[in-house]
Amino acid sequence: MPGELAWTIGYDPKTFDPAKVDDQESELVRYLTGGVLLRFNRFTQKVEPELAASWSLSANAQTITFRLRSGLQFSDGSSLTAKDAAWSIRRVLSAATGAPVAEEFLSPAGVKVETPDEQTVVVHLPQRVVGIGKVFDEIVIEPADRPSEGRVTSGPFVVAEYRRSQYVRLRPNPHYAMRDTAGKALPYATGVRLDILENQEQEIRLFARGEYDLIDNLPPDYFELLKKKIPSSVRDLGPSLNTEQMWFNEAPQAPIAAWEKSWFQSRAFRLAVSQAIHRADLARLAYLGHATPAYSFISPANGAWYDGKIVAPHTDPTAALAELVRAGFQLKDGVLRDAAGHPVKFSILTNAGNAARLKMATLIQQDLAALGMQVMVVPLDFPALIERLMHTQDYEACLLGLENVDPDPNAMMNIWLSNSPNHQWNPSEKAPATSWEAEIDRAMNRQASSSNDAERKQAIDRVQQIVADEQPFIYLVYPNALVAISPRLQGVQPAVLEPELVWNIEGLRLQGAR
Amino acid sequence: MMPLAAVTKWLARTLAIVFLVLTGSTILVRCAPGYLSDAREMDSRYADRARVELSAEAARSGSLLQMLSSEVGGWARGDAGVSREYGVPVFELIRPRLSVTGSLLLRALGLAWALAIGAALLSSARRTPSLLWQSPATLLLAIPTAAMATLCLLSDHGGPILVMALLLAARDFKFLHGALRKAWLDPHLLQARAQGIGMQRLLLAHILPAAAPQLSALASLSIVTALSALVPVEVIFNVPGLGQLAWNAAMNRDLPVLLAVTMMMAMAVTLAGMASDRPAGWRSA
Amino acid sequence: MKVKLFAACALVALVVAAATIVAAPGASYANQDREAPLASASQHHPAGTDALGRDRLVRVAAALLLSLAGAVIASAAATAAAAGVGALAAFGPATVGWTAMLACDVFLALPWLFLLMMVRSAMPLTTSPARSAAITFLVLAALGWPACARAVYRGARSLRDAEWLLYARAGGLRGGQVLRTLVPNLIPLLLPQFLISIPAFVIAEANLGALGLGVGEPLPSWGGMLLELDNSAMLFDTRWVYFPVALLITVLLLLEAAAGEA
Repeated sequence: MPGELAWTIGYDPKTFDPAKVDDQESELVRYLTGGVLLRFNRFTQKVEPELAASWSLSANAQTITFRLRSGLQFSDGSSLTAKDAAWSIRRVLSAATGAPVAEEFLSPAGVKVETPDEQTVVVHLPQRVVGIGKVFDEIVIEPADRPSEGRVTSGPFVVAEYRRSQYVRLRPNPHYAMRDTAGKALPYATGVRLDILENQEQEIRLFARGEYDLIDNLPPDYFELLKKKIPSSVRDLGPSLNTEQMWFNEAPQAPIAAWEKSWFQSRAFRLAVSQAIHRADLARLAYLGHATPAYSFISPANGAWYDGKIVAPHTDPTAALAELVRAGFQLKDGVLRDAAGHPVKFSILTNAGNAARLKMATLIQQDLAALGMQVMVVPLDFPALIERLMHTQDYEACLLGLENVDPDPNAMMNIWLSNSPNHQWNPSEKAPATSWEAEIDRAMNRQASSSNDAERKQAIDRVQQIVADEQPFIYLVYPNALVAISPRLQGVQPAVLEPELVWNIEGLRLQGAR
Repeated sequence: MMPLAAVTKWLARTLAIVFLVLTGSTILVRCAPGYLSDAREMDSRYADRARVELSAEAARSGSLLQMLSSEVGGWARGDAGVSREYGVPVFELIRPRLSVTGSLLLRALGLAWALAIGAALLSSARRTPSLLWQSPATLLLAIPTAAMATLCLLSDHGGPILVMALLLAARDFKFLHGALRKAWLDPHLLQARAQGIGMQRLLLAHILPAAAPQLSALASLSIVTALSALVPVEVIFNVPGLGQLAWNAAMNRDLPVLLAVTMMMAMAVTLAGMASDRPAGWRSA
Repeated sequence: MKVKLFAACALVALVVAAATIVAAPGASYANQDREAPLASASQHHPAGTDALGRDRLVRVAAALLLSLAGAVIASAAATAAAAGVGALAAFGPATVGWTAMLACDVFLALPWLFLLMMVRSAMPLTTSPARSAAITFLVLAALGWPACARAVYRGARSLRDAEWLLYARAGGLRGGQVLRTLVPNLIPLLLPQFLISIPAFVIAEANLGALGLGVGEPLPSWGGMLLELDNSAMLFDTRWVYFPVALLITVLLLLEAAAGEA
């Protein structure tokens, strides 16, 4: 079809019901089809009214009032009023729906939604929620009592056709409310085709032939390959929000040797490992230069939260060895032994199939060999890896990445709070195991409950400094965001937040025929 | 006519295979690492939902007996159970893919046989060193299917049918070459050749009939080879067929789907195996 | 015969050359020259370096020794098991034959992929790369025999029905004597199976790498090198891998063809 945009998604969206989205590809479809009261602009990182003409937050930040635009319609031509908006919000809040967004309201059962008139929606919260505006970015307005799984929408597109394991086709919503500055109807594109394709090789080949218009998350080696073929199509957007890190298993219940646990729980040991790793080599060899050495969890791409003043241990193998000797370790004949004489030997897990991670692990293997540590690199397939990390805790160290979809560190609560199952190095602690973990808990809770931006930033800066001092996560690199954009695609403004290349989907336009 | 005893024996054997494969596969998948884990657990946005699904699955798959009975129940209902990944009846997933895989297999088999029979006739009749013919065949067998498919993708030539056909042709050729060679060296044929009987007549009257019983064995060999190549070929070329489904099911520990595909493959292998054993059985009877 | 001799000599020469390269002073397959990744041929690295700056020549030679040794052992084990099962099925009572072939069919149909995953999870994570490689090839052998057993069974059954054997048995040859005359006749059946299994095992090891089983870093294996060919971005840099692989396969194939002719 002329003017139809096409790109790939990695797997079948699990659901088209916007309230039940719980995976990345479903979220993309929701973004492209769903109309929301407020849109979190992925480029400016500011909340903007969309279906709402205006919105306001009461002084105690517990009452939100939305004024809808007038004359709104759903894609089937029926009118969209406050009744529909209230119904959609209540549906998301209801426990029966099981919407993942509900928990962002902290106590969804206590939220009250009122519609004083056709154009106004008022939401009362039982308690303050940090960044409440952004939560409404995930609540799609559907026709009251007629949930349609994306077939009747108020966003730029409508789900037109879905062939399992083949493609999802979207057609434009003829009644979409937004217009461009010249008053022309949006979206420009005559449709969107999302091909379900896991094979990157195939994706790149079809992109080079002009079948696809964009690729996000290009691996560095493919980036270089495409650069040779179509130099004008690839862009290195600099550091992404994502991090690659390794960590040691510090869980006391882990089924590993007691002496290993005592190494991993020792700050000196973690610090020495961190100092022995040549991060610049990781970026240069594993990512062909398309990565930036990392020392903290907030990437320089995250302008509002990045803190350049963090003091972190840098590469220094001599200092690393001195640190180990101080902690009772001994290097003799190329083998490092602890005070009890156990040779230091452990494995690093990573997921199979990620070439860059395997290379990083192999480089780290050699870096640590210089300290006399014998490291095994073990790539595992994802389910097997997750089982060890989340269930059996039968592992020593792990190298993985973290994808950050939200620049606000509040989204990382689950990672830093010591009682969370996603507190990877020691999950679900009953009480903080160390004083510094207790301090992280306090700082994270402080930023979550404060309404003062400066105070929140201060709390997060403190967490970053503690993490740099204690090294529970040894940050390695920020991979750069590498993308490919067809030269015929107009209007792309790459953003660091998902969906990076199509966040302004209504303004994208394809020149010429495919 | 097949005697009743043979039919009973055949049925018993098929049932035994179905039962053993069903049980074996269930045990393997259930005990494989990662059956009760989900990549979404690592993502704080989706972790809670994933954990709810996993505990439901854990309750469902508490004991092996329970799992087996739920699988057999699915088959009895006629939908082979509900896919863990997609939440729809397995047969609904399989049906559209069956024709895709079927047509891929048929076309590849046709092309492969044409290639193999042609090459084998030429190679067995000549006195040129058979090495000349053997080498490309063995080379084809020695390249990983995945690498061959990637090369095709890269060069923009050939597709799933070609890769599969080349692979099958190589194996079939080796088999046919041996069979035909034997036929050419039969004493009566040597005599016929010495008498100067025409090549065409020799082929039609002696060689092909002599090799005919081998063709059924060839069919079984081809099917087994084709099935084993199905997964890599479909995954790399992104063919929406059964091989791709099986691979996704394995990666997602989707037991009902995996069982259904495994059973279909097992049936195909068994039927193919029987087709090749039959002529021998008839002869001895 | 000439071909066979030539192929055998080539194989020995290849192994000796590889051993010399690996054993040369200063040669290391793991040492990373981080200043020279993906370097082209130089005096220091006659075949250049890989993406992590490791010497390609040494890695290829070490991989040759490792993969060949592993595949030969696995192939021998699988062929021996297949010979045992196949012969037993063909010459034993009918029920034994029936059961053995049933087991083969079931075995061929099972999703053995999961067995490999189970083996990996049962192995301690700190298993050294060398031991992990050995276990890999053993598991492959354990999984590879049924396909081979079917072929042996078919061949052995036609032997059982062969006239000379009937005469021999009618002439009063006892079981042990029959066996002694049988074994030489089984060899032409087993040798091609053995030889053709070797490249198959090399490739199988490569596919396991994708699941985290297989030969681990920093040990090089041909399987792992072949796997890189799945990635077109790497393909241009790793074309060289195919040269020695092709050499080995050619030699094996000459041997196999020669064995088939004999």
